[in-house]
Amino acid sequence: MSVLAQNEPDTLYNDFRIEEVEVTARALTKDVIVPQTLKGAELKRLCALTVADALRYFSGIQLKDYGGVGGIKTINVRSMGSQHTAVYYNGVQLGNAQNGQVDLGRFSLDNMEQIDLYKGQKSDIFQSAREFGAAGNVYLTTRKPYFKTGERVHVRAQMRFGSFALANPCVGVDVKLTEGLSLTMDAEYVYSNGKYPFRYKRVFPDGTTAYDTTAIRQNGDINAVRAELGLHHYYRTTGFWRVHAYNYWSDRGIPGAIVNNVWRNGERLQDRNTFVQAQWQDEWWDRWSTRLLLKYANDYTHYHNFDVKLLPSNNEYTQQEAYLSFANKVQLFNWWDLSLAYDYQYNALDRANLLLDDGKEFFDRHSHWLSAATAFNFKEYVRLQASVLMTQIENQKSPITNPKFTPGVFASFRPYPKIDLSLNAFYKQSYRYPTFNDLYYTDLGNANLRPELARQHSIELAYRKKAQAYELSFSASYYYNRVTDKIIAYPKGQQFRWTMLNLGTVKIHGVDAHGDMSFYLPLRFVLRTRLNYTYNKAIDVTNPTDTYYGHQIPYIPWHSGSVVASLDWSSKRGDHYGLTYSFIYVGERYGQQENTIYNYVQPWYTHDMTIYGEWSIKRYWLKANIEINNLLGQDYEVIQNYPMPKQNVRCTLAFRY
Amino acid sequence: MHARFPILKPFTIYHLPFTILVCVLLWSCRHDEVIYPTIPTEVTTEVQKGGLYVLCEGNMGSNKARLDYMNLETGTYYANWYGAQNPTQVKELGDVGNDIQQYGSRLYAVINCSHRVEIMDLQARHIGSVDIPNCRYVAFYGGKAYVSAYVGSIADPDMLGSVFEIDTASLKITREVKVGHQPDELCVVGDELFVVNSGGYITNRHDSTVSVIDLASLTEKQKIIVGKNPQRIRVDDRQQLWVATDNGLYVLANKQVKTVLPIHANNLSVLGSTVYVLDHANKQVRGISTADYQYSKVYPLSSYENPYGMLATDEALYITDAKNYVSSGVLHCYGYDGTERWTAMTGDIPGHLCRVTGTYEQKQDTTPVAHNSAYLYKVYEYLPAMGQFVNVLPAYEEGDDAAAMCRKCEKALANNAGGMVTLGGWGGYITFGFDHPVENKEGRDTQILGNAFYMTGSTEYGSSEPGIVLVSVDANKNGQPDDTWYELKGSLYDDPKTDHAFSRTYTRAGDTLQNEFHSQPYYPQWLTADAYTLKGAKITPQTVTISGQNVQRILEYGYVDNKPNKDVEGTSFDISWAVDADGNAVTLSAIDFVRVYNASDEVLGATGELSTEITGAIDLHVQ
Repeated sequence: MSVLAQNEPDTLYNDFRIEEVEVTARALTKDVIVPQTLKGAELKRLCALTVADALRYFSGIQLKDYGGVGGIKTINVRSMGSQHTAVYYNGVQLGNAQNGQVDLGRFSLDNMEQIDLYKGQKSDIFQSAREFGAAGNVYLTTRKPYFKTGERVHVRAQMRFGSFALANPCVGVDVKLTEGLSLTMDAEYVYSNGKYPFRYKRVFPDGTTAYDTTAIRQNGDINAVRAELGLHHYYRTTGFWRVHAYNYWSDRGIPGAIVNNVWRNGERLQDRNTFVQAQWQDEWWDRWSTRLLLKYANDYTHYHNFDVKLLPSNNEYTQQEAYLSFANKVQLFNWWDLSLAYDYQYNALDRANLLLDDGKEFFDRHSHWLSAATAFNFKEYVRLQASVLMTQIENQKSPITNPKFTPGVFASFRPYPKIDLSLNAFYKQSYRYPTFNDLYYTDLGNANLRPELARQHSIELAYRKKAQAYELSFSASYYYNRVTDKIIAYPKGQQFRWTMLNLGTVKIHGVDAHGDMSFYLPLRFVLRTRLNYTYNKAIDVTNPTDTYYGHQIPYIPWHSGSVVASLDWSSKRGDHYGLTYSFIYVGERYGQQENTIYNYVQPWYTHDMTIYGEWSIKRYWLKANIEINNLLGQDYEVIQNYPMPKQNVRCTLAFRY
Repeated sequence: MHARFPILKPFTIYHLPFTILVCVLLWSCRHDEVIYPTIPTEVTTEVQKGGLYVLCEGNMGSNKARLDYMNLETGTYYANWYGAQNPTQVKELGDVGNDIQQYGSRLYAVINCSHRVEIMDLQARHIGSVDIPNCRYVAFYGGKAYVSAYVGSIADPDMLGSVFEIDTASLKITREVKVGHQPDELCVVGDELFVVNSGGYITNRHDSTVSVIDLASLTEKQKIIVGKNPQRIRVDDRQQLWVATDNGLYVLANKQVKTVLPIHANNLSVLGSTVYVLDHANKQVRGISTADYQYSKVYPLSSYENPYGMLATDEALYITDAKNYVSSGVLHCYGYDGTERWTAMTGDIPGHLCRVTGTYEQKQDTTPVAHNSAYLYKVYEYLPAMGQFVNVLPAYEEGDDAAAMCRKCEKALANNAGGMVTLGGWGGYITFGFDHPVENKEGRDTQILGNAFYMTGSTEYGSSEPGIVLVSVDANKNGQPDDTWYELKGSLYDDPKTDHAFSRTYTRAGDTLQNEFHSQPYYPQWLTADAYTLKGAKITPQTVTISGQNVQRILEYGYVDNKPNKDVEGTSFDISWAVDADGNAVTLSAIDFVRVYNASDEVLGATGELSTEITGAIDLHVQ
């Protein structure tokens, strides 16, 4: 936990920071790999509506965005593919056995307290077995209730309006039931008609216009409701349990690719994601920690296409997931920890083609994970971790695969006790298993897909300094990843579906650099900057006879980065005003395997700006916020033929009691 | 440093973000999107006439349908030829190119997921576009294009597809007929259209029929049951239909299944009496005889990743490899001995090939591609003067128009078919061409066949019904014979008895010449006008009576239907003989159109008028 400087202005947010120290008091900062984190006020200052928007400000990731409020948004960590990225919601992984992808555009930032991105894995050995299994991990932590002495109820209400007829009200209530037990409730509604102008223009080499067309994006509307309920109980100083129920319902159009003579599409998607998860954790004899996770998820998707130009399709998918995780950690000595965890998951998918009587299919899968890990901490100087994960996936209709073992080794070396400079390194293997879509789609799937193996080698230099007038943190890493049997997803007309290929072997060399700087200026001004730069060379080295041998894989830019600068000012009575400017750059890349002029995708970069004011009177708190995205109105595409919005605006009014 | 310039320290720290911002802005910037260029690659030194269009499908949603052009005259392959020819087309050619065909002087490309048919000239310059939902393939007949489409009428519970009729003159949809599920390839035989109903979207059921459509009424007459999921259909030289299905290769004759060959055909191409069959699973192309269905030759494609498109032409067998479907494919050119001559890298999924030989008219309805054939290829005009075989050779049927009569002449004459067409009385004419220009080389250039014969024991007398030959160059490049005509000067040109400015008007009312053997009307029944006037030269009568027989003097040279066909020189013509209207010699390096008209004006009792008959034509320079 960072200890904040005395003149840290956003004390209001401290109200909402969970004092994790209570729970894990004995756990020193054991991050061998320093995560990138966005939390609290910093998160709120960004031009970001969803988790996906916020993740653009991390280094080492590549975002896929199909545009608009309802468009699918996924991320790659270090070019390894979105299915190598695990997303955890309050500590439990979000799953999609059907396509292995989590649409991060669905997770609102409104009740998000913190987002952490770990490359490799969270370097805390006390975690569920599955968490050792992914190559990149995103942890989403929702706001936890915090009551000052004498407070029993908090109420929040927020309204957001914006371009594309965005209407986004949100309410929340926290109730302190007993001293340790509290209840949180959240509900949010999102509507947008998804209509925005986009422009396609091409010029002759001499600069004269060949064509220049502007049209309105159609069928991109969305109606979504999210409701969450949380029950938290903290007891003694060591234990807690919490139960979280989540429901998300949406109805949206899929705007589709803009191609010659096709300016609108007729695909629609309705879905409902429901899950209930429970976590219990405690500690005995100061040395033994136990955690139990349970989850049941039920997801329903209804996809239909009534475009009169195409043959109708009407499909329903129901996914069920049951998950159990049991993790234990023993501290043998002050410097030596051991952990053992076992996870089990059951996934089932019912697929029904509503246009055919006999169009029903059912797939299921049993997965087992067993992990053993150990950590050594030699004073402040050296930290070592090693883990091994055994994975066994039993897919229906395919032979039981042999258990796969994937090791990971993490080391951190901090040479000077008084200087927060560390040299961190890791090596890790991880598998990404084919999803139901990969395996069973008759037209696009491939039952012969092999699991994809990623080997990561990474070395990082991290430095942090805090002074009276400023805070700095800086990290730079070099990494080399090798992915074999890589499965690549290609958009195939319908966003909902993909073509799957075992692309073969990909070599990834990359550099991530990340810097945070805060300057506490006179007159209660604070300047914060955040810088990210990512270099990626992700080349296909499958077969020297391929025309794309040695070419950069699709949609991975060589260069990308972001800059965020914000200036905040606090009045003497505690009101805040701020201005945030951010710039995101994604460099040139190619939309297909071959790096030819016909597949070239231009760089894009957007300038975004946020202005906000916060006022508090007694226990009432009010915030007004205006965001302007794509300030210069650039016409760009993240994915070819999926135009992104030009300049757009959002206004938010938030109230809290 | 710090000691000397202490003031720089805070400055540096505070301005670091902005310094980095400036650096960031120096990264490569976004600029206006420049049109996709065409990229030429020399792939061979071998030279052929004309070129080959390669339509690359591109993946669904990628908008990467690409039309490439292999210029066979220079051996250069042009990637994205359409894009370069039509830079102002919004969003380029479109999404998923599914078929390309030539008809007349135009190219028709079916762009499946852009839901339209793109119409271009032979240089692939955009002429127009016709919107048809989920369109698949195109075929032609009598000035109309027929396009199969997966989607027909909206809200049809059976999800049946349709065939749309486009008038190629107005580029408008004129009619629509509902067929089976997801119709794919189609072809015209006679005046009927055959469409395979694939049922491609109903994967667990499929369709298994071929719809037979009467083109006059555009109604489905019947459905022929074939194997499951038929996707391709081609007509061969014996008017048999070859239908590729999941259950084998069906051969239909007279709308009956004649045989089923146990081959999974992924693609078909017909050349002469051989059907070439591309078998994806076994990675090979087989040639199958249309006579006995025996394999003539096997071309292994073992090095291919995904053999896909194919076209057999006179000069070469073209086969494409679609590789992994999401990267560039390869076009291979083979000789029929199996040797690979050259390869070219194409766009994504090179699926459809179209051979063109120039900018002139050359296309026959049912033949997808021209072959640089030696034989007469196309009939543009047919207007006989009133005569005893008019409306019989070829036969007029109720409803035929001039274009239909031209097609009938083609059927009789084209591609060495050996049929006969009469020109009727004086002045009646026919205009035809080859699938390429006829070059003016040393000696005679083209032979025109008739039915003349010598009297027994004589080469001076016989049955001679002389026709004068006119030639023309398609100077305006519109593919139509509307340019200046030049007469090929024959032996009677300078005869003072030849009337060079004769004309005669034929009227429907004057249709009274019928003799007892030929009682049908003599006036061309397809004409809507009641009179027509023919102009030209008339030679002096050549008929004499020898031994009670009417015979004609055989003219020395330069007339059609004057000497027997076996006398190649005597029935052949030299373009160097061309003269203009004033009789001045003109030099033509090549000609596009040939017109023959009856120059004699004699009626001989029971045998009727002297009437030039044509039975074919040959370009003597094509081997």
